[in-house]
Amino acid sequence: MRLQYLLSQAISNLRRNGLVVFAAVVSVLVMLTLVFGTIVLRWSIDQDIGRWDDNVRVIAFLSDDLTLEDIDTLQQDIQGWDQVNGIEYFSKAEALEEFRELFTDQQSLIDVVEEDPSILPASLRIRPVAAADYSAITDRLVVIPGIREVSAADEAIDALVARSDRLRTFSVWIVVVLGASAVVLIANTIRIAIFARRDEISIMKLVGAGNWFVRIPFFLEGIMEGLVGAALSVALVWAVSGSIAELFSTSTDPGALMVPVDFLIRNGLLIIGFGGLTGLMGSAFGMWGFLRD
Amino acid sequence: MIRLQDVSKIYDGATVAVSDVSLEIQKGEFVFLVGPSGSGKSTLIRLMLRQELPTHGQIWVAGKQTTTLPSWKVPLLRRSLGTVFQDFKLLPNKTVHENVAFALEVIGRPRHVIRSQVPQVLKLVGLATKADRLPTQLSGGEQQRVSIARAFVNRPLIILADEPTGNLDPATSVGIMRLLDRINRSGTTVVMATHDHAIVDAMRRRVVALERGRVVRDQSRGAYETPDQDPVEA
Repeated sequence: MRLQYLLSQAISNLRRNGLVVFAAVVSVLVMLTLVFGTIVLRWSIDQDIGRWDDNVRVIAFLSDDLTLEDIDTLQQDIQGWDQVNGIEYFSKAEALEEFRELFTDQQSLIDVVEEDPSILPASLRIRPVAAADYSAITDRLVVIPGIREVSAADEAIDALVARSDRLRTFSVWIVVVLGASAVVLIANTIRIAIFARRDEISIMKLVGAGNWFVRIPFFLEGIMEGLVGAALSVALVWAVSGSIAELFSTSTDPGALMVPVDFLIRNGLLIIGFGGLTGLMGSAFGMWGFLRD
Repeated sequence: MIRLQDVSKIYDGATVAVSDVSLEIQKGEFVFLVGPSGSGKSTLIRLMLRQELPTHGQIWVAGKQTTTLPSWKVPLLRRSLGTVFQDFKLLPNKTVHENVAFALEVIGRPRHVIRSQVPQVLKLVGLATKADRLPTQLSGGEQQRVSIARAFVNRPLIILADEPTGNLDPATSVGIMRLLDRINRSGTTVVMATHDHAIVDAMRRRVVALERGRVVRDQSRGAYETPDQDPVEA
């Protein structure tokens, strides 16, 4: 009966000042939509970088005077490095073949390369364990005498990592600002609810209602506002993530951007919990200095 | 039942509301606190209710030292006190029955207790037939009866009443005083702040007179005005 009483108090508080409650719920909704949206977006970017990772190669161009045995020894040596996941020998003939394919409509270039085979050297194509390892591998390769030149897609990798870091920083700031405003708005709804009930509260205190008995409805109110906003944001992001996946599935790689359901559930629950926490903080702020005996 | 020892209450370090008051009230007593506005009557009631803490001195109420009572125990103290105010303090959107039941609900009394206690106390105050009315549908005297019912429904040890007849005409006031007297005769200690001469003179109970925060007279079976001879008779 007491729990029922506390809940009914909280619900009638919510009904009493609909507009402010609406504003609080919307601010939680917007904040957590951004948080959850960012999490989902990060996931997609990580997927992208992941696919990128697989394609990152450090290419060591070999000098022409290395014998096949030299190359074999070198290959086995590099294969043993910690940062190296795989290694592949690419002969002069294969390089020429690839060049022909790439520049198939520029016969003049192909002619030049065919006349002087030393232009296209043989190479070792090294797959790092992680994309970020490319620089360590490059550093070790450049000091090896038989290697003419080392090339990696370093700038592109750095740019991608930097861009996703910027996105993360940006979203953290947005979440901090919106989170603070959600807490303030919830605190406001609690203040208004306390004000609307001040006579009732003063009587409750006079007849000896426990402090927590007085406070709990207001905590419940704040938590409900947080939870509703959070649940709406999860629903929104879930719906949008589905339609984005549909949009992309018509292109080359269907399902690649489809966010897995267990990922959405796991993070969605986290978001809802975070919404409840926001509500709790808002209520605590709203009651600050009030409801003392 | 109530003991004040060298109690002073000073607001903002300057306004002296109560000054050096020592007072002892026994179980079952009926005590009038009298004096002009600003003499400290209401402050004394608030101190006994532990709505405020004294600047100096110690206070014991219903066996508890309020001055050292941790705030989470204040509700327990209040449950042994009933309070009645000049402005009734009823909830306008609740019926008479609900207003009285509210006092029991919020301290977690089970439903069957509420169902039996509330009609009983409404009968005591003479409002059994008006249980479903809203406060606005009652006269001032009836509203005050509801607030007395609410104060008494939990069978408190002490009733603290701050000008309970302040808003009522003399005839209605007599009814309220009869009710408080009946409650007092059942063993409940009653402390009532008032400046209603007629009531104090008619009842002839203990009178504690205050002036500028000090006790200037403490007289058993006293009247409102100071008798010519010896002002303090303890």
